[in-house]
Amino acid sequence: MENNTNVLLEINHMCKGFEGLDVIKDISLSVKEGEVVSIIGPSGSGKSTLLRCATMLERMEGGELIYLGKKAVWEENGKCVYAGKAQLREIRKNFGLVFQNFNLFPHYSVMKNITDAPVSVDGVSKGEAKKRAESLLQQLGLSDKADAYPYQLSGGQQQRVSIARALALQPKILFFDEPTSALDPELTGEVLKVIRQLAKEHMTMIIVTHEMQFARELSDRIIFMDQGVIMEQGTPEEVFSSDKERVRDFIGKFQA
Amino acid sequence: MSVGTMLMQLGKGMISTTEIFFLTLLFSLPLGLFVSFGRMSKNGLLRGISKFYISIMRGTPLMLQLLVVYFAPYYLFGLNLRGYRFPAIILAFSINYAAYFAEIYRGGIESMPVGQYEAARVLGYNKLQTFVKIILPQVIKRIMPSITNETITLVKDTSLAFVLAHAEMFTLAKQIAAKETSMAPLMAAGVFYYIFNFIVAFSMERIEKALNYYR
Repeated sequence: MENNTNVLLEINHMCKGFEGLDVIKDISLSVKEGEVVSIIGPSGSGKSTLLRCATMLERMEGGELIYLGKKAVWEENGKCVYAGKAQLREIRKNFGLVFQNFNLFPHYSVMKNITDAPVSVDGVSKGEAKKRAESLLQQLGLSDKADAYPYQLSGGQQQRVSIARALALQPKILFFDEPTSALDPELTGEVLKVIRQLAKEHMTMIIVTHEMQFARELSDRIIFMDQGVIMEQGTPEEVFSSDKERVRDFIGKFQA
Repeated sequence: MSVGTMLMQLGKGMISTTEIFFLTLLFSLPLGLFVSFGRMSKNGLLRGISKFYISIMRGTPLMLQLLVVYFAPYYLFGLNLRGYRFPAIILAFSINYAAYFAEIYRGGIESMPVGQYEAARVLGYNKLQTFVKIILPQVIKRIMPSITNETITLVKDTSLAFVLAHAEMFTLAKQIAAKETSMAPLMAAGVFYYIFNFIVAFSMERIEKALNYYR
């Protein structure tokens, strides 16, 4: 089974530091098509930095980053080299990212937030983009909000719109950077519902989250990070029954 | 001189004042954007030049700048330019106001949350698209009150063109006042400026309101 599944993302020996402080220490990770991987761990463990390096919002300082077999970043003489502009643009099309604080464009309506990138970046026709957006909005229960502006929506609705915006570009992998951390429990529920739905449709997802129960029930694999390294990884059962004290400690706090 | 003739003459001056006003905005608003790019550039030399430019423009009197711009071609290069008076006025006003606008743009651009750039980048927008479609529209909304302020100041600053004896409204008002030994032309000019600015403030408020469709 391992062999005939596509590896969509491969991270080899990723390193990243900020002002002399190593935040990511030699992390390797690969994600296959249809996999849902959750990254958990304490604040400052490097989860978000890992995600930001993988989505190229942050420059990595060592290692390789490969999407669908195409190298986005590699090492030459001990230094990270990024692929050319045009290649990176192509590589970026493989993934989408959902931010903790949504980052919707406030001056665009919900519809325009979702259709603008497909039209002006991917050259999709306006009609097609609108059709895509309408079907996404329906799927996410936001059909009546197409003409609203972000400020008129609740946080949960805004996050769902931002998920729709990412999906409209039809990415192969969707990253989530603590998608519910800015939301109250009620609104968290409606966003998690959407992510569950996507998991059912076999969307490949990498989710940085503090929602332990959610990660446990949804993920194919959980990665526990601490101090810039992967301390534990495996199926939810494996990680939740880890014999490592640090992991047990952390997870225990959430189950109390 | 009858009140009617006086108002007619001032009216003509008003046309000239309006010309200076609109031409200055036309040139200084875009020029200021480029100066602000220079001011925020990663290139240290470009940043230094822009900073120096802004500091000179803001640090010396506009009246002096008008004189320098007008007389420099003759005194520095021996050039006797015909019909240079009006272009000199527009040039001096434009480069002066561009410096102020540049700092307003910079304030607006730097106040934008980094998340907007990051979202645009992940969605695949290139740098130009990100600036034109995502950043600039939001910056304009943020800086409108400051732009209104500058614009109102500009209406009044046009009167400085009198140092180059250009026949804008204030120059004429002063001349008539001296000739007729009367305060009336100056008072009338004041009313004209006030009405002009009333219209400017009203229009800017309309624009601000129109931009209030989002928060």
